[in-house]
Order: sequence, then structure tokens, then C-alpha cells
Amino acid sequence: MSSADHDSDPPIRLDLPPLSPSLFDSEPSSELQQQSNGSAARPSSYPSSPTSSGYAAERGSSSTASSISQVDDVLHHEIQEITIHDSQPQPPSHSSWLPGKRHADEDDASISWRKRKKHFFVLSNSGKPIYSRYGDEHKLAGFSATLQAIISFVENGGDHVKLVRAGKHQVVFLVKGPIYLVCISCTEEPYESLRGQLELIYGQMIVILTKSVNRCFEKNPKFDMTPLLGGTDIVFSSLIHSFSWNPATFLHAYTCLPLAYATRQAAGAILQDVADSGVLFAILMCRHKVISLVGAQKASLHPDDMLLLANFVMSSESFRTSEAFSPVCLPRYNGLAFLYAYIHFFDDDTYLMLLTTSSDAFYHLKDCRIRIETVLLKSNVLSEVQRSLLDGGMHVEDVPPLPSSGSSPHLSQHRLPSDSPEREPNCHIGGVAGLWHFIYRSIYLDQYISSEFSSPINTPKQQKRLYRAYQKLFASMHDKGIGPHKTQFRRDENYVLLCWVTQDFELYAAFDPLADKALAIKTCNRVCQWVKDVENEIFLLGASPFSW
Amino acid sequence: MATIGHNNLNAKLVLLGDMGAGKSSLVLRFVKGQFLEFQESTIGAAFFSQTLAVNDATVKFEIWDTAGQERYHSLAPMYYRGAAAAIIVYDITSSDSFTQAKKWVQELQKQGNPNMVMALAGNKADLEDKRKVTAEEARVYAEENGLFFMETSAKTASNVNDIFYEIAKRLPRAQPAQNPAGMVLVDRPAEGTRAASCCS
Repeated sequence: MSSADHDSDPPIRLDLPPLSPSLFDSEPSSELQQQSNGSAARPSSYPSSPTSSGYAAERGSSSTASSISQVDDVLHHEIQEITIHDSQPQPPSHSSWLPGKRHADEDDASISWRKRKKHFFVLSNSGKPIYSRYGDEHKLAGFSATLQAIISFVENGGDHVKLVRAGKHQVVFLVKGPIYLVCISCTEEPYESLRGQLELIYGQMIVILTKSVNRCFEKNPKFDMTPLLGGTDIVFSSLIHSFSWNPATFLHAYTCLPLAYATRQAAGAILQDVADSGVLFAILMCRHKVISLVGAQKASLHPDDMLLLANFVMSSESFRTSEAFSPVCLPRYNGLAFLYAYIHFFDDDTYLMLLTTSSDAFYHLKDCRIRIETVLLKSNVLSEVQRSLLDGGMHVEDVPPLPSSGSSPHLSQHRLPSDSPEREPNCHIGGVAGLWHFIYRSIYLDQYISSEFSSPINTPKQQKRLYRAYQKLFASMHDKGIGPHKTQFRRDENYVLLCWVTQDFELYAAFDPLADKALAIKTCNRVCQWVKDVENEIFLLGASPFSW
Repeated sequence: MATIGHNNLNAKLVLLGDMGAGKSSLVLRFVKGQFLEFQESTIGAAFFSQTLAVNDATVKFEIWDTAGQERYHSLAPMYYRGAAAAIIVYDITSSDSFTQAKKWVQELQKQGNPNMVMALAGNKADLEDKRKVTAEEARVYAEENGLFFMETSAKTASNVNDIFYEIAKRLPRAQPAQNPAGMVLVDRPAEGTRAASCCS
């Protein structure tokens, strides 16, 4: 057994030595080990667990002056009163997501509104409501004014309010010129994650309006921005929903639909052809996954822009009825100007976006689309895409048990039935050594691959919990105060979470909570090797637009 | 039948009007014969094409269904520039939408092609009990401004095909009087080289 294990652990062709248990032992951050012990011993929601109290002390006091503690007190009273209701069972809300604005009849006087776990607000610096996740914006004018008062109270003192903790709730603030964004959440997500979500909401607003909306506030401080966002509730609700399932929202990377290398090449070649004829970006996507994309010379596309663009297009039903030509702004590319997007759905899932700077280019882009469609049909790309959708990408059950066995594996060859032999002895569910799930993020490519969910992470609730755990792990790995870290091994009542960050990649893996540490580490090495072996199929290689 | 070949017309048609007036519903009823009780807001503009046979000619409409939201108003010229026809849509149950429709008419009179065939559509005619704009008021306005007027219902399909048909009938007559904006009405078989008129 031990010799087999040694065989299975060759110094893989990574630039860095493989992850090994000794790496963990030499890790100076004993604090992390403590954390995992602490949270294993107590229920994770216990308020004084090391994790959460550490946050409150660090964030609450570091960034803000004494004025904050006063505000904290005020809010504390109000929210305490609400949290009484929180102990009652909540209606299940995540089982099936319905698009669009819900509970529009609520306002801040409604108990149901106060019980919502996570609120997002956008308001102007004069306190006018712009967007609220729940409830009618106009009825929330008083509440918006309160938020504005808190922000300007602190700003008048020459400071900026970033976070207020009030019991279980965090109130996160983000100021973007004349636009204020606020999240009130009791989901225990890290401050950095919530702030990142506010950044994305702001970005989505820029996608629709560009930053030139600021000029409206310069002309008229009491400007009401809600009419400008008319009909876009669904875009924001869909983005907020993605904060609980789409890893791209915190990884700042995009993901590709797994496809045979030749298939992706065929799609890329015709897109390149089109890009040479004056198209700035040509992007072929399937749901939120990239099939292929190319950009004009020197034009680079940020993964966050892609996320926001894909969310904008997928959430708006109107794009599906026909061909559309719409102004869009890519905030990271140029937040001040509109580009023009030609958008066409080939089927329910697969769509093409051609972006240009010219508002007259519709008929040219339409011709481009017809050429692209002909090539995609001829080379069977669209049917391959549908097949990949059905098959899924990487399954943890398929992690090669012995990396040395078998020839260079392909995704399709690994589509083994669940009774595949050579399983590690101590696991009866999930993959090797109790591996339940993983996310691999390639730093150079700005891409990630997430394994398919399988037993026991079956339900949306479990998936959301794992997603939140990854999000927390990501935040702690990138924490500027105590990081950055290279490795982290964390065991609690739900999972063993293992994270490994190198110059080239980041690996996040979830195991059975009883998984053996040494085996888990060994499995992570295998996963990395497997990803390398199939990188031609799961990543878009040689994509120039992302090399900034 | 081959004689009608040179009577084929391509005509750019734009729909303008307040959000929720029913522009997309009219187009979807005309192009696809569909009606959705809840039609989602259009983003930017959607492009459709539909061919109609009128007398001895066929008219291929290239239809721009624009978004009614305020944020798209400044972009409207991009869609109505060079259009041969426009349907200005309002909702008979909303006076505001009628006011907005009049603003669109004014804008087209100022900026648009003077030979443009303009139609005023009072949509949601099935909602008689919620009516706020009388047919008489709209008819008088339309006559004064040289538009033709119809009340339509995308839901019941009443007058939907008729309004497009009426536009198609009026188009060929306008055809000889083409001026700079004539690039839009492309006679496909005869002038194949001009088919890509909108490409830069």
C-alpha cells in the first residue's frame, strides 16, 4: 500500500513541489489550525467563535473612527429587535429561484422585510433610493435617507464608514461618487465578499448606464435615477442570485464549457476571422460558460466584465426572441463609454455576443453572425456544446485513482459508472479519499474549473453552503491582514476544506469531514495533475484578450 | 409570377413609444403570431424581419422594436435613422403614454425622413373599460399631423396585421420620391451592390 502511494506521488510536472503534509506542519499560521479546532468544537454560528469575533475586532475598529461605535449602538438596538423573529423557522427560499423582483409590496415597516437575511440597497448621495433587493424603492425613501445620514455623518468627520457590525448583522458600505451601495446581511459572509458583491452591483449598473450617469447628479443633486434603470430589476436580482452559486463572483475568473480541443479551436477560428473585420470582442457562450472568445488586438476583457455582460444578457428574456442590438458598457474596459452589442441566441443556452464601438455596425454584425452560425453548424460545434451540457465537466468520482495508470486521460474516458474500481478504502461516497468537490483556478489564464456537484452535495441548500465555505476560504487566503497564505487545512462539522495557492493556480477542495489529512493532500495533488492532463479541454488556451 | 421580382421592397420600420405600450407585443403578434400576457422589457432594440405581399409587390419589413425606457431615448436616432416607416405606439389606458407618443411624432417630424410613413397605434384596445384616451382624440391628432391611425390589440390580434399591411400599401407610393434616406429601401435583385447599405 505504502509503495503504491509512493508511486502515485511522483513530483508532478508542476513548477512547485507537490503539496505534502510536511508543508502544513511547517506552515507558520498556527492560527488557522486553531480556527478549525474552534469551529469544530462549537456550532459555527456561535457568536464568540474565534472566526467571527476576530472579524469584528479587526474590521470594526481599524477603518473607522469612534463615531462608528455610536452608530453601531443605534443600529444595534433596532436590529436586535428584529433578530427575535429570526429564531422562528424561515420559509425555504433557495430551493427554486424565481427571477425578477419579489416582495415588491414590502417596506421597512414589514416584519417579513426585516426578516430577510440579505438586503442590498443602492441610493444617491442625497438619500434618494435607486434600488432595493426587496420592497418598493419609493416606499423605502425614509430608510434610504437613514443610510445616507449614517454615511454622511461619518464623512463629515473626515472618515469613511466601511462596516458596521450589529449582533449577527453586518452593514457594509461602498461609496462610488454620487452613488452609495449598502448591504445588510446576517449570512456570516466575510466583509471582503460582501464588499465585492457591492462592487459587482455597481458594475452592473455601469453596464446599463455608464459612469456618465454621474453627470446627472452634478447637474441636479436630487436627480431620481430609478426611471433610468426601468425594467432592469431582473438583471440585478439575477446577479444577486449568482452571489450564492457562481464562483466567478468571488474568484474574478471565468469558466469554460468543457469541449474537445479541436471543437473549441474551430469556434475560435471563426470568431478570430470576424474579429479581424472590425469587431472588438466576439464571445460565444453557453449559459455562464465560455465556449470561445477573441478580442481585437490590444483589447482585453476583464473576467468581471464578462460576468456582468453574461448576466445582463442571460437575465433579459428580450434577447431570446430575436436578434438584438443594444448599447452596453464594460466597466473595466471603459466605464465612460457605450459599446454596441449584437446579441443572438442560437438555442436556449448558446449565444453569441459581438461587441463593437460603432453604432452603425448592426448589419455588418448580423452578416458576421450568419457566417459564424454556418461554420458552427458545419463543424458540429453547437451539437457538441449540447452534449457537453448534458455530460458535465469534471466529476470527482473520476479523479484518477492512480495517476501513473492509464494513458493521458480525457474527460470522456473518465465518464465511468459509479461502481468504478480502485476506490480508496475509506470512502463510500464522492470521489477518492472522500473528495466531494473542488475548484481549480488558473492564475495565468484567469479561468477556473469547478467539478460537478455530486453526492452528497446534491441539494441547492448544500451547494450554497459549500459555495459560502469556499468564499470564506478564498477571503481568508487573500486576507491582507493575516495573509497571503499558501495552504490551509480546515476541518469542521461539515467538511474538510483544503486550499493550496501557488504562483500558477489556486485549488479549493472539499472532503468528507472525516477524511484523512494525508490522503486528502495526496488527492489534491492528483486533482492538479488531472487538471493539467485535460487542460486542453477545460480551458481556453492561448486566448489573447486576457493577457493584461 | 416572375414579374413581381422587381417589385420587391425592403423597408426599415421602427416602433417607438413609451415603455409598456406594447411595441414588442405588436411585433411578436405580427411576426410570430404570439402573445405573452407578461412581456418582458426590451433591452436596446430587437430586430425582426417579416415579408408581406401587397397587391403586386412583396414588402420585406426590417423591423426595429426599440426599448421604451427613458435611458434609451437618446439612442433612438440610431434606430429610426433612414427608416421608411414608423409605428408610434401608445396604450389607450394611459394618458401619459399618449403624451409620450406625441413627443415621438414631434421628434420624427424634426429629425426623421420627411417621406416616412407614420402610423399611430392605440394599443390594448381590448381594455375598453380602462380606456383613458378616446379614439376620437387620437384620430384628430393623427389627422392634424399626417399620420394614419388605428386602435390595435396585440392580445386579440385586432388590427395588428392591418396596420402593417396599411403601411406596406403606402410604401410603394412613397418609393419614387426617395431622397437621401433612400438607402434603406433597397431593391434587392436590381441593386445587389447596395444591399449592404448599412455597413460602414
